[in-house]
Amino acid sequence: MVKDITIGQYFPGNSFIHKLDARAKLIVTFIALIEIFVCKNFFSLALIFIFSIVSILISKISFKVVLKGLKMIYLLIALTSILQIFYNEKGKVLLEWWKIKITSGGVNTAIFMAVRIITLIFISSLLTYTTSPTALTDGIDRLLSPLKKLKVPVDTLAMMMTIALRFIPTLIEEIDKIMNAQKARGADLETGSLLKRAKALIPIFIPLFVNSFRRAYELAFAMECRCYNGSNHRTRMKTMKFSWRDFVAFLWVAVMLAAIILLNHFFGAVI
Amino acid sequence: MTVLEARDVSYQYSVGTPFQITALEHISFSVEKGELLAIIGHTGSGKSTLIQHFNALLKPTSGQILLYGKDINETKETARDARFKVGLCFQYPEYQLFESTVYKDIAFGPGNMGLSKEEIDARVRRAAAFVGLTEPMLEKSPFDLSGGEKRRVAIAGVMAMEPEVLIMDEPAAGLDPRGRRKILEMIENYRRQTGSTVIIVSHSMEDVASLAERILVLNHGKIARMGTVDEVFSHAEELQNMGLNIPQLTGIFTRLNQLGYGVNPLTYTVEQAKTEILRYLHKGGAADG
Repeated sequence: MVKDITIGQYFPGNSFIHKLDARAKLIVTFIALIEIFVCKNFFSLALIFIFSIVSILISKISFKVVLKGLKMIYLLIALTSILQIFYNEKGKVLLEWWKIKITSGGVNTAIFMAVRIITLIFISSLLTYTTSPTALTDGIDRLLSPLKKLKVPVDTLAMMMTIALRFIPTLIEEIDKIMNAQKARGADLETGSLLKRAKALIPIFIPLFVNSFRRAYELAFAMECRCYNGSNHRTRMKTMKFSWRDFVAFLWVAVMLAAIILLNHFFGAVI
Repeated sequence: MTVLEARDVSYQYSVGTPFQITALEHISFSVEKGELLAIIGHTGSGKSTLIQHFNALLKPTSGQILLYGKDINETKETARDARFKVGLCFQYPEYQLFESTVYKDIAFGPGNMGLSKEEIDARVRRAAAFVGLTEPMLEKSPFDLSGGEKRRVAIAGVMAMEPEVLIMDEPAAGLDPRGRRKILEMIENYRRQTGSTVIIVSHSMEDVASLAERILVLNHGKIARMGTVDEVFSHAEELQNMGLNIPQLTGIFTRLNQLGYGVNPLTYTVEQAKTEILRYLHKGGAADG
C-alpha cells in the first residue's frame, strides 16, 4: 500500500528524455510549465497538451504509471471545473434553473482548467520520472551556483536535498518492515475508531524515529570519516555536459513558445 | 500430524506495474507437529516472502496456506487467528521495540490477543525466562539494552504469544559466537518444553545442520530440494551451484572420503567429527597394522 505512491518516483530508462542533461531538463520543464500559463485559447493549449503526451511517449514511461500519478488530484480537477461551471457568467447562457446559470464561458473555462492542470502534472511528473534524484539535485546545485556569490550555502542545501531524497525509499521500506513486524505481533492497524487507529500508529512511529536517528548518526559519522566538510571545492564523479540533445530540447520549447504566442494572437482568448 | 501446509503457492510482487516480479512459484510442502524445519536459500530466493505467507501477512497470488487443514485466508478471522497461532519473528527484530519498558514491550503481543491481565503477566514472565531476561531487566527501557539483549527482548515478544508454530528469520544474524549459541539454545529449549513447531531461516549451514530435522532449499522461488539434513547435504555440488554451501566440517569429511579414507562424509559438528575420526583410527589402525 505504501509502495503504490508513484509521484516523485524515478523510472530508469534509456530514452531521449532520460539522456537529457539534468540542468537542461530543469530549464526546459520550467519553460514548458510557464508556457502552459501563457496559453490563452484551446488551440495553444492543445499544442502544449500534445507536447506533453508526445514527451511521455518518447520517454517510454507507461501511461498507466502517469495516470496513477493523477489519481491524487482527480478531486482537485473535479472541484476546480465544477466551481468554474457554476461561477463563471460570461458568454451564452446554456441552462438556467432557479439560481443556477450555466454559461458557455463557464463550460469553456472548466474544460480549459482541467486540461491545464492535467498538462501541468504530466510535464512536472515527467521530470522526476526520468531524472534520478542525484542528477536532479546536481542539476539544481549547478543552476543555483551563482547564488554562492551571495553567500548562500548552495552545496550544503543540495547535499541535504540529496540525502533527504535518497532516504525516501529507505524509509518507505522501513515503515513496511516495522508494520509487518507489529502486525505479526497482532497489531490491528485497519479497524477501530479514529482514536484507536491513531494509537495503533505509536508502535510504528517510535521505532521509525529511533531508527532514523540512528541512521542519521551513522551517516554523519561515515561522512566525517571521509572528511566531508561541505566546502565548495567539491568535484563530481559525473561532470555534466550539454549535448546536441539538450539543444534540440531548448529549440523545441523555444519554437513552442513562439507558436503559442502566435496562436494566442490569431485565435483570440478564451479566458 | 500436519500443522502447516503450503499447497501450490505462487506469489508475485507489484502485479500490474513495471516492477512485477515472481517471488514464489508452485510451492507445496507440509510441516509436522513439533518438527524443526530449516529453510535455506541464497539472498532473494524467496525465503522471507514464503514465511510471511504463514501468518497471512501476504496472501498467495494463487494456491493456499493451510493451518490444521484450514485455509488461513478464508476470512478476516481465520487470518487473525493465524497471526497468533503462527508467531513470526523477523530479521533484526530489535528494531521493532517501542515501549517504555521491556515488560510492556513483551506484553504487546499477548495484549493484542485480548488475554486477561494475569494471563499476560504469566506469559511475559515465562517468555522472559525462556530468553534469559532477569527480573530487574523487565523494568528497564528496551533502548538502554545491548544489541544482544534487545534481540532477546524482541524474540520474547513473539514467544509470549505462545504460538504453536514459531518462525524465526535469521535469529542469530549479526551476533557474536556466544550470542549466536545462546539464541539457538533458547529456540531449542522453547521447542522442547512447549512441543511447538519451529521454522528457522538461516544462512549458517552449521546452525542448520546442528539444529534442524529437515531442510527446505529454495532457489529462485522454487523448492530445489526438501529432505532430512543428510539427504540435503549429500548434494554438496548442487548446493554450491545455488550459491549455498555445506558445513565446513562436512566439506572436509567429504574430501577425506573422496581421498579414500573410510570416514562418513555427512559429519556436521565437532563432536561428531571427533567420534568419527576416533572410530576410523581404531578400525583403520587395525587394518593397516
